[in-house]
Formats: sequence, C-alpha cells, structure tokens
Amino acid sequence: MLAENIWRLGNPKTSSICEEGLPVVFVEKLNNAMRLTALSRAAIALGLTPDLTLADARARVPELVALDRDHGDEARLLARIVAGCVRYTPMAAAEPPDGAILDITGCAHGFGGEEGLKADLARRLEASGITAFCALGDTPEQARALTRFGHKSKNLLDLPVEAIEADPAVTLALRRAGLKRIGDLASRPRKMLAARFGDLAIRLGRVLGEQDRHISPERPLSPVFALRRFAEPIARIEDALACLEDLGRDAAQTLLERHQGGRRFIARFFRSDGAIVGVEIGTGRPTRDPALLIRLFRERVDALSDPIDPGFGFDMIRLDVGQCEALTARQDDHLAPSRHEEDLAELVDRLSVRLGARRVHRAQPENSHIPECAASPCAPSRLPVWESAPEGEPPMRPLRLFDPPQPVGAVMSEVPDGPPMRFTWRGKTYGVTRWEGPERIAAEWWRRRDRGGRPRDYYRVEDEAGHRFWLFRHGLHEAGGTPPDWYVHGLFA
Amino acid sequence: MTEPAYVELAAASNFSFLHGASHGSDMLLRALELGHLGLGIADRNTVAGVVRVWKALKDTREDCLAETGQPLPFKLVTGARLVFADGTPDIIAYPETRHGWGRLCRLLSTGNLRADKGDCVLRLEDLLTFHQDLLLIVLPASTRREDEGEERKAEKQTILPPDGKEAVPSPLFVIPAKAGIHREAGAGGLVDSRLRGNDGGSDNVVPFPTRPNPDTLTRTLAALRAVAPDRVWLGAAMRRSGADARKLAKLATFARTARVPLLAINDALYAAPEDRPLQDVLTAIRLGITVQEGGKRFEANAERHLKAPAEMARLFRDYPEAIAETLRFHERIAFDLEDLKYEYPHEPVPEGWEPMAWLKHLVAEGAAEKWPEGMPAKVEKMLDEEFKLLSKRPDLPYYFLTVHDLVRFARSKGILCQGRGSAANSMVCYLLGVTPVDPARYDLLFSRFMSEDRDEPPDIDVDFEHERREEVMQYVYDRYGRHRAGIVATVIHYRSRSAVREVGKALSLTEDVTTRLVSTVWGSYSSQMEEERFKETGFDLDNPEIERLNHFVARLLEAPFPRHLSQHVGGYVLTEYRLDETVPIHHAAMEKRTFIEWDKDDIDALKLMKVDVLALGMLTCIRKAFDLIRDFEGVEYTIRDLPAAQADVYDMLCEGDSIGVFQVESRAQMNMLPRLRPRELYDLVIQVAIVRPGPIQGNMVHPYLRRRQGKEEVVFPSPAPPHNPHELRDILGKTLGVPLFQEQAMKLAIKAANFSPADANKFRRAMATFRNVGTMPQFEEKMVGGMMERGYSEEFARRCFDQIKGFGSYGFPESHALSFAILVYASAFLKKRHPAAFCAALLNSQPMGFYAPAQIVGCARDHGVEVRAIDAAHSDWDNKLEPGDGAPAVRLGFRQIDGFKQAWADAIMGARGALGAGDPAQRIEALARAAKLPARALRLLADADAFRAFGYDRRQALWEVRRTPTDALPLFAAADARELGQEDDPQLPAMPLSEHVAADYQTTRLSLKAHPMSFLRPVFAREGVLSSAQVGLAKDGTRARVAGVVLVRQRPGEGKAIFITLEDETGITNVLLWARDFEKYRRPVMASRLMEVHGIIQHSEEGVVHLMGAHVVDRTRELDRLSEDHQTRPQLSRADEFEHPQMPRNHVPRGRHPRNVRILPASRDFH
Repeated sequence: MLAENIWRLGNPKTSSICEEGLPVVFVEKLNNAMRLTALSRAAIALGLTPDLTLADARARVPELVALDRDHGDEARLLARIVAGCVRYTPMAAAEPPDGAILDITGCAHGFGGEEGLKADLARRLEASGITAFCALGDTPEQARALTRFGHKSKNLLDLPVEAIEADPAVTLALRRAGLKRIGDLASRPRKMLAARFGDLAIRLGRVLGEQDRHISPERPLSPVFALRRFAEPIARIEDALACLEDLGRDAAQTLLERHQGGRRFIARFFRSDGAIVGVEIGTGRPTRDPALLIRLFRERVDALSDPIDPGFGFDMIRLDVGQCEALTARQDDHLAPSRHEEDLAELVDRLSVRLGARRVHRAQPENSHIPECAASPCAPSRLPVWESAPEGEPPMRPLRLFDPPQPVGAVMSEVPDGPPMRFTWRGKTYGVTRWEGPERIAAEWWRRRDRGGRPRDYYRVEDEAGHRFWLFRHGLHEAGGTPPDWYVHGLFA
Repeated sequence: MTEPAYVELAAASNFSFLHGASHGSDMLLRALELGHLGLGIADRNTVAGVVRVWKALKDTREDCLAETGQPLPFKLVTGARLVFADGTPDIIAYPETRHGWGRLCRLLSTGNLRADKGDCVLRLEDLLTFHQDLLLIVLPASTRREDEGEERKAEKQTILPPDGKEAVPSPLFVIPAKAGIHREAGAGGLVDSRLRGNDGGSDNVVPFPTRPNPDTLTRTLAALRAVAPDRVWLGAAMRRSGADARKLAKLATFARTARVPLLAINDALYAAPEDRPLQDVLTAIRLGITVQEGGKRFEANAERHLKAPAEMARLFRDYPEAIAETLRFHERIAFDLEDLKYEYPHEPVPEGWEPMAWLKHLVAEGAAEKWPEGMPAKVEKMLDEEFKLLSKRPDLPYYFLTVHDLVRFARSKGILCQGRGSAANSMVCYLLGVTPVDPARYDLLFSRFMSEDRDEPPDIDVDFEHERREEVMQYVYDRYGRHRAGIVATVIHYRSRSAVREVGKALSLTEDVTTRLVSTVWGSYSSQMEEERFKETGFDLDNPEIERLNHFVARLLEAPFPRHLSQHVGGYVLTEYRLDETVPIHHAAMEKRTFIEWDKDDIDALKLMKVDVLALGMLTCIRKAFDLIRDFEGVEYTIRDLPAAQADVYDMLCEGDSIGVFQVESRAQMNMLPRLRPRELYDLVIQVAIVRPGPIQGNMVHPYLRRRQGKEEVVFPSPAPPHNPHELRDILGKTLGVPLFQEQAMKLAIKAANFSPADANKFRRAMATFRNVGTMPQFEEKMVGGMMERGYSEEFARRCFDQIKGFGSYGFPESHALSFAILVYASAFLKKRHPAAFCAALLNSQPMGFYAPAQIVGCARDHGVEVRAIDAAHSDWDNKLEPGDGAPAVRLGFRQIDGFKQAWADAIMGARGALGAGDPAQRIEALARAAKLPARALRLLADADAFRAFGYDRRQALWEVRRTPTDALPLFAAADARELGQEDDPQLPAMPLSEHVAADYQTTRLSLKAHPMSFLRPVFAREGVLSSAQVGLAKDGTRARVAGVVLVRQRPGEGKAIFITLEDETGITNVLLWARDFEKYRRPVMASRLMEVHGIIQHSEEGVVHLMGAHVVDRTRELDRLSEDHQTRPQLSRADEFEHPQMPRNHVPRGRHPRNVRILPASRDFH
C-alpha cells in the first residue's frame, strides 16, 4: 500500500491517471521471477493479487503499468509519517514494512479523547494523500489486528485467526482444525494451544490485551551545541574567537561521548543590539579537534569580504554542530608517521573555507574512452583511484584539455591516416618533427540514432622548437567525403 | 605491384560466446571477399564452431566448382585460442597434423574436465604436456576474464585415462587433493613456479591481468621454445591504440631476443567494422552491464575486423616479415577436418568375427527363435535384400550391432526399450529385437526408408523407460569409457525471448518493458520480432530505444547466434580410438554426464556415428503396468506379443476415450479419433502423424478424412502428359493419395519437381538446418515452379511446400510413427483390459502425459475401477492394486502427497507389523515411533486424511499429530510407555465435506470424496447454468451457460481459436473461443480456475459436442465457499470483496494468505 502512496505522492503528473483507475503494480524479483508485491486499488479491482508473476499479470491485463518496488523509499516515507506522529505522542514507532504504532497512553486529552486523536490522525494522513487504516487497541498487537482485520467487525473475538499473524503454517493448521475466529481460540484452554502451536498462546494473549509489550519509539538525538552568555558584552573579535575555541572544546567533549565528529559547524555571534552574525565552516571528514576548528574559523573570518562588525559587543556566542558523523576515539601516537592523507584533508579544508567549498575539486576518472569525458571533478573528500602509467612510458594524454578543442588549419598529412606534418594554430605554423599515433577513438554509437559517429585519430606531436601538442583528426578520409577536420585538444608540458 | 598476401590467424567466431560478433561463415565470406588466401578460426578454449565454418567452406567450394569450374584457392585452418587460468598470456594453437589435432582436443578436454560446464581451466604445464604437433602463436597478454577458469571440486573432476592401453589413470593425471604440484618431472622444471597458480587446487584464481607483463611473456616464450623450438611465434596486432609503433618495435625486439618469429594478426572479433556496436552489446551482456555503463570496458574503436591484405601490409610496413610469416605459418599446416576418420568401436563384435557375419549370426538366432520350423520365404527374401543393402555400406553392420548391444543390455536389466527411425523398420532390427514392428506383417520395405543418398547417416533412435534410462547411459560410459563415448552437444541459439530480454537489459530497458515485448511473442520459435508485435505492445519503432532493440535482436536472430552449449537429449558418439582426440569433452550440467563440443549437424558433416539413447515415459508406464498385472493377476505380457487387433480396444479409441493413451490423448487427437475411426495398426500410424503442424499447415487433413470416409474419390495428383501420370502412386499409395508423412512430402517434392540429385541434396540440407539458417525460401520457387512446369496444379504444389515448412520445425516421419503406433495400441489395450493396473502404473510414472492425477483417477473411476484413498494403514509409496469387488481396486500411494518422501513411506511400510491396538491417538503415536517419522511426515499424512483407518478424520488427526512427540524420550521409549497424557476433548467442529474436498486438492491434487463443483451446483443451478452432462444432451444451436473447473487452455497452430476444457462433477465440456473474443475476455480466461462460459452448443458430425463461447466470466471466487463455513460468509457481491483489507497483502510472509492457497492446481496451458 505504501508503494502506491509513494508513487502517487512522488509523481503528481501521473497520480491523476491513477485516480482514473489505471492498474499500477509494483514488482520485485523473487525466486528468479518478477512478481507483483504491491498493487494499486485499480489493479486489485481487476483481480490481480500479490505474488502473481508479472508475466501472468500481463497475460491478463496487458495495459498494466508495472513499476519497480523501492523498499528504501517506503521506509523513508514511513519514517516521515512516524516522525510526524510525534505531535501526538513521543512513543511512536515504525512497524515495517507498512505500519506504525503509537502509544497514546495519557496523550489523548489534547485531541478530544482517543477517538478524537484517531480522527485527527486519519484526517491529517488523508490530507497528505496517504491511504491509512487506524484502530485503537489495548496492546500494540490488538491495535494492529483491529487495523488490519477489523473492517467487518470491531469485536476482537470475531476477527479471523490470521489477525494473530502467526506463521502461515500455524494459521493453516488452525483453519484446518475449524478454529477460524479468534473467539474459537480464546474459548479453548491455552495449554492445548501451547502444546501444539508454540508461541501462539503468547501471541493470542497479546492480541487479547492480556499481555503487553513495550514499543521502542523513534527518538532523534538532540543536536550538539555549546553557548556562552556574557554579563558584559565583549567587543573584540579576538576575544570572541577565543571564546569560540572554548565552545569548540565543549562541543568536542559532547561529540567524543557520542563517538561522533562534526562535518559542519556554525558559529553565531549575538550582538547586543539584536543582530546575529553567523559563520559556517565545513570539513572534509568528521572532526572534533578544537584547534583545527578555531583555525578554520579564523580562516573563514579573515576571508570574509564583509568583516564582522562587533558593534557594541556580543552578549552571547553559540556554536552548533550542524552535521554529525561517526568518529571513533583514537589515541595519538607521536612516533607514528605523519598522516599524509590527513594533512592533505586539512589543506583541502582550509582552501575550502577560504575559497568556498564548491571551488575546490579533485579529478576523478570516468568510464569513457572519449578524452573530455574521461575525467570529472568530484568533491575533494573523495579518493579516486587513477590507473598509474606503466613505468618508463610517457603520458599518453595531456593533463589539461582545451574545452572545446581548438581547430587547426592548413594541415598537411598523409592519406588515409598519417600524422599531421605541418599545421597552423592561432596564426602560427608549426612543422612536426616527431610524432606518435594514431590513437583511434570511435564515437559512442549508443548516443546516436544511426549507431555511427565520426572517430577521432589522436596524435602526440612535437615541433622543431620542442613544443608538444595533442592533435586529432575528426573523421576519416573517405572517397568522395568531406575531408576531415583537425583540432588541437591539449598541450603537453 | 603485386597484391600483398595475408592470412588472418586470429579470427574469433561467435562460438567465442559473447566475444565474437560474427558467424564463422561470415568471417569466411569476408575473408574470401577481401582476397585472403586462407583463414584461421580460433575461439576461446573451444573448437565448437569450427565444423560449421569448415562445412560452409566445403559448400562454397562445391558451388564455386559448379559455377566456375575452378577450385577455390583457399585454406581454412582450425585451432583454438587458449586462455589460461594461471596468468599465462593467451596462446593461439593450430594443429599441424592429425596428431596435433588430437593433442589440442586432449588439452582442451583436460581443461574442460577440471571445470564446470562451459568453463575451462588451462595451465601452461597442460600445454607443455600436449604441445606436440601444435603451432603456437603467443600473444602479449592474457585476456582471461575475472570469473573465467574456475575449478570444480577435485573429487568431481572426471579423469580420462592417459595414452596407452591401461584404463587406470596414472598418477600423472590424478589431481592431488591439496598440493599444487601437477607434474613431477619433464617440462615441469621449465615452468616458473609463479606461473603455476597458487597452491591449493580450487582457489588459484589469478587477478584480472590489465596489461602485458614482460616477465610472464619471457618465461612463457622460453618454456615453449624449449619444447617446441620451431613451432612458436609471437603475435602482434596494430590496434590503433596510440603507441602501436612503439609497442610493435618492443615486441619485435622481444621476439628477436626470444628467437621466435614475429607474426602479424589483427585479432578479429567480427567481420566488418559495422559489427562493432553488436560486439559492444554482446560485451555488455557478458559483463551484465548496460551499454551506457560500458565505457572503457568496450573496445575504443572498431578496428577488430578482418582487414584487407594491403591494409595489413601498410600497418606492418616496418615489419613486412611479420606479414610474410602468416603465410609460412599457414602453409605449414597440413591438417584439415576432413582427416578425422571415424572408426566404429570393436566392442559389439566378438573377437574372431567379421561384423557382417556376426550380424547375420545374431539375426539367424533371432529367426530360429521366432520360427523354429524355419522362416517363411517372404522373410528370407526380405533379409536377403536387406543384407545386400547393408553390405554396400560397411559402417551399417557396426551400427546395427552397436544398437543391438544397448538393447541387449536393457533387456538383461528388465528395462523396456524400443527402436524407431528409418533403419529400425527392417527385418534385421525386428529379429535383433530392436523393434517390435514386424515389417513383413505391415508390408514395410527397408529400402523405402533408407535414403538413396548414401552419405546420409543411418537413423535408429532407441527409447528407454524414462526412469531407468540413466542406467543405460552409464552402461555406455562404462563399456566404452569416457574417453571413447560422449553425448552430442546441442547448440542453444538465441530465440526471440532470450534475445529481447538480454539485449533489452544491455540497452537499459527495464525488465518490465522487455517482459511486455516478450509476452506478446507466443511461441519462442518466432524468428523475428515483427513490427506488428511492437505495435501490439504499444511501442513504436520510431522510438529510438525500441528501434535499437529491434536492430540488435534482428541481428542476433536473422541467423540465430549461438548462446551456449548444452547436451543433446541422448545422442552418443562412440569411437574405437580416443574420442577426446577427435573433439574436446565437457562436463554436462547434469551429474555424471560428459558431452562433446559438436552438435548433431557437425557430427553428420564429419560422418561420425551417433546412437540415440532416448527416454520415454510411456515405456515406464507400460512396464509398470505389466509388472502389476503379472504380480496381481498372473498374466504375463510383453509389447511384442500383446493380442493384436482387438476390436474392443479400437472401439474405445473410436469413441475418443483416450485419456492416458500414448500420443492420442491431447484434445486435438481426441477430436480426431471419432473422425478417423482407427481399426488397425496402420490407422494408428496415420492418427499419430496427422495431427501435426505439417499436414495441418499443408491442408492435408480434410482431404484425407474425406477420402477415408469414402466421400471423395482417391485420385493421385499427376503431371501433364509427357510424364508418367502414375509417378506418385508408389509414394502416396498407402495414404489414399494425400501426402501425410515427412518422407512422402520430401520424396514427392524431389520427384514431382524433378530435382537434380545435387539440388535434392541441398534441399535435404536446408530441411535439416531449417530452424537455424533461413535457406528454405530459395527452394520454394524452385519446388513450386518445378512442379507447375511438369503440370501439377499450383495450389497442390504450394500445399506440399507449406507442409514441408510445417515439418521443418516438427518433423514426424512414418518410420517413427510406426513405432509409436505400437505403443498407442499397447497403452490402449492396457487401458481397456486392465484399467486399474493402467491407472496405477500411469500415476506411478508421473510426471508424464497430458493429464493431472485427478483426471487419470477420474477416468479410471468412470471405467468402473474402485479407487481407494491414501491410508497410513494400507498404502505403499507407489499406487498399487488391492483385491476389490470382482475386479482389482487401486490403492493410492503416498507418492501422491505433495512433499512426502519415499524414505518415510518405506519406513511406514516396514513398521506396519509393529502397530498395536489402542485408541487412534495411541496408534498414531506408535506408528510415529516405530517408523521414526518426523513431525512433517505426520502432518502431511494427517493433512492428506490418511489416518481414517485408525479412526481419525483429517481434522482430528491434524489436531492430534500437532502434539505427537517424534523423538521419544529414552525413558519413555525404554518403558514403551505413552508419553502424552490424556487431554480433554477439544470440541472441534466437524469438518464439512466441501472443506475436506478442498483440502484433498491442496494435499494430493485430487479428491475421491466429491468433485468441487458438486457443492457449488445449487448456486449454479439457481443461476440456470448447465452441467456438462446437460450440455451433452442439449440440442445443436441452443444457447447455454456452463461452468466448470478449467482443465486445459490451448491455443494451437496459428492461434485463431482458444480451446478450453471445463470439468464438473458430471464430465467435461469443450469450449472453443475465437481469438477476437479471447482478446475481449483475456482476463477471465487467463485468471480463471473456475470459469463460466456463455455460448452456443454445436454438434459435429461425429457427435462431438462443443460450446462456442461468446462470453466468459471468472467464477474462481466461488471456490472459496468450499473451505469456509457457509453461515459465517454471507453472500457478498464480489466487488465487495476487494474492499476488504484482509485481501492477500504483502505483509503476510510469502505474500499469500494461507486460506487463499489455491484449491485447484494450475491447469496445463499456454501462458
């Protein structure tokens, strides 16, 4: 059911079709076959059922719309729903895959009683486009049973034995025994059931409300912050930063207790006139080193184009850790070799803080033969692995490329695939003395309708003066065709 | 300037699965076109594709000679590209001589038998063992894939005997369980230990090599040069990778230092540059990625095609000797596949006998047994003629004797078997006991079946009982050895389904889209995804993605690409000398089977002999029925001497009462029986052959029936005057002038269209490979035109051709139909005379035939057989006979319970004596303890209602066994005391009969208590729905509604109509639905287990009643009534049901609500 909701919520354009009754099903690969695991109402109305193979379903309903089921998305939606339920009770927990349980003991008075709370919840869920069934029960299992099986009768004893949600084999055995309602079980000695069906008696007790189990609610960790108020406003930036360093130590202590490190830190300076100045820094890897923090904050403050104006002074400074990640405690060893990676990370952090995070990149290799597609910028925190050139081999490609490649003219070359012997670039003519190539790179046919595309022949060439160029011929010499063009794509150092 | 000469020695075909992107024959044609002097085909660790190329060259040669009178100056050399598992660079090996070919095959077999099916684990030391007479081109790097070359467990590896006569494997070949030492002496010393892979047999996986490693190369070259100084080359390719010239110079230096010549190759993966996209798609399929993700894993450019000699010379202008070397290399090779001479194994002929003399001796023995007073003159004459024919082909006596040997073995083990095929219908085979068809009685002429074409291989298929065929197969391996006997391969080609699915995945279409495209392809034999099919699914070829899919699918299907090798159903090749020196041997997916790399066509092309050891379920059934009858009724039968021509047996068949009877039990056959009215064996031969695509597509069925019923005069189509008007009389005499059999159609085509022997030969070839290569259309005009020229009507000519086309995919020749007819008669005889034994035997031979156990049992009960329920106190594992009221009764066995194990059944049968008295619970406990039954077995028994004899019905028994202890505590066991205390009566409600029936279906797929429909009858009767019995009595043309359980849905032939069989408590109703109505009612038709059909009743002339369906309703939900209490489930409209959230939902484990476990098993049908 959640699957359908996600589809409707996530895709407003198609949701209208769904209302008109387009059969939508969600499929998963189970036991080597694509099977339906969730269905829209329209699909259910056509008689399709879960567990049917997609091929079977298609044979019945050719116009079926089949989407891949995404359990991750469903879990995320469920988590959002549960988070929203905190308005009713702190004791809210998800029951994957498609349920939520709320302990509303003592929470209902604000909503006009338990029924009022239920109605409010149902209304809100419906308003957000979520199909939901709600019921109240003395225990989580009872509520669950009533929600899922209580549509015909609210009387617990009338519910089918499936409501106990025992193992399917046990449920089948109960049905075979003619015990089809919960009432049939409740009226028989528990000993008799326990001798045959193991934990059935316990489950039954829970559904009947005789036994309670506590739910574990979702409670987000409180945010990490540290603040200091001043009786007298402080006016010097230097003092403020010194205070910030203290706050950094406080925050680091909290982080250490949680085995976490921060990736994003926000310092807020509250001016006595009510203005607030915020400064934010980010780090490439989680950290809780106060010295590092203050260094970065200083970099940032120094780099501000609009320096911080303390005005009449700050009366409060607060440090928030905006993003936390796991970081285990570590003992430093002064004999250990220096950590090159960390030094580099520190440099990257300092550059990012000074220049802006989006302006520091690393190049990572991409999976393409086409030179301009063979690398892409990535976040400096990532550690891409480049294939190292074999020993003694010259680099086959220049480090930097012209974007776009620059046309060269007056190329003299041998037909069909000889190197350029002389060419003109930017008004200057170069005579080639040494060359190597071609490296032929064909176009990526799958991007083109005709599965064709002109290949490029790359040459590494050197002129009399020792300049080295990376040139390519775009296209091949073909009888009657237009002669190919030449470009320079980069220079070798 | 003279044209430079060049031979490409590193061409891969598409038998380098998912590497090569061209058929070997396309490579060949391209090489011819470009003016190469020859071609070397070398696939990855296989020679599976070489025979096809060789055959293509042979055909081209013949054509060339016929057209120009000049022989074709071209030499094909065949070898393999060895891809090693130990990091050794690839080596292309070509045998120089026949001996070299043997070495190559041994080498590949060694690698294959270390690995699982389809894989090959080669090490350099293997090559050093088998290098003799091989010319070796060492390539700079290995192209081994990451998952390639993984060893199977050492104890599961098959070890072939080494050279020499001794059969015991020498230590040299025993793979040590742990150590990494494979050779103690000899060449082993030359191999650097790093080349041997890691210690430990199973995990010597070498990381994927990314670039050439000069050290490895040096070592490899040195090791090879030491054993084969003048047979090693270093291969170099110019791939246009930038540094080509530098790399080539390095390799040249390398070669000089290693003192081996440099040899130019282009390492071609496809014929022409245009094939690059296809190669990329295949690569993507191989890697399980999409084309978009391919990137650097694809080739950078389209250079790996065959290049013209001039182009190659230009690329290698700095090293012209590398080009010249290709010619020297090529010239050195003296081996051609033609050199593979086949020798029959000597085993079937005893020492001191000539094969022909021994055959005559055996036949004489058979005759003496058959006719102790001397054989009739007619038989003697037949034998003389046959022996005359046999003596013309020295291979034939061997062949007959080999078949006889298998049959003799099966007989000695009591396994029923029967031969069929062209050579089987001879007096020799009859007297050898290979077939029960007496050719004298049925007026069969051996010469009629033997092709005039002397090259055609003899054809005898032998069917064995399907449950015991394995014994025969293992006998073959034991008698001849795995190095001399192997199962033929079947090349699995891409079909539209697999092609769409795999290409679609590579082009990143979702599985849903491809499923949708595939689901509209009804049969999987369709050779192309036609444009309409795309339209039907709502996709348009204007969509570039779909167009791309269509393009590549068409490329894979136009002449289907091979996908992988599989084993043939049972064709063996047996040889006198080592088979593994003729063709490499593989492990099959099935345990204990080994097979060779070549398929049937390859075998035929090379003239190797094949013996078919096939499995047939009906033989198992007949043998089991014979056993039951012998043990219970004391009558001994054999297929050979069943009372023939019994009128009551034919009467039964004429009524279409043929459930369970071999070959004639399908709906279509059942409808044909009353029309054909068989009265003798030959009628059954026709019956078996007529309901087939050939005669149906050729429109031959109705003319034959009309003539048979005397409504039409029997005339023979005849040519215009100058030709002999009676030329077809010989061919069509037996079938009233209508061609029905495959041989007839072929002979007719050749005779009436006056094909030259060469044409006829080609025509046969085209027929044989009909499905693989689209060469048939060119014969259509030739045949139809030829027949019309000689005065036959165009209509008749076209019909004949259509029929041949129909045979193309499902050939059914007379020689096979004859043997099958014997089994039709035998099974019909058993069904008529011994219905109980037949029913039990049929159930004991499941799975086989068309019908589910419920119909088989139902049919037996209709014939008055008493069938008794499964009972823990009486049943065996098998269904058996028990004394009944006058006639024997059938007692159902435990094997009918889904999930029950034979070991439990055996334990119960053994423990039965120990059962004491007492109340039901005590007796159950005693049984459980005596037979040591686990809880699951007890629950299955209770659920199958098998404790009635103990006094418990299903419900009580299930309640009880849920607490029956299954592993007795020692103290209680010692005291032999009951472990359980008394319990109060649980007061369970009584189980209604309808619920019992539903549960019966769930556990045993049948119920003896009642038919499910009988409980629903009141509901349907109130609605005016007729029962099947009422439909049978209704008048022609009346409107009627009928409802029943869906047994079969079929869409035969071209799919114009859908046949549905419904069953209720009174019988069955046949429903026919036109295809357009089917589209309208697709959902109910596909989804219903219980179906209601509205329509018009139609009587055929022969009294068969059909309901022409006009409206279909899915009433499956009614079945829920059976297992629910009626009171608690008031009648809800079905639409209401969907509102219920307790509809099956995904939170229930395994996705299915236990209550909704389907009551009826799925019907046999077409989706």
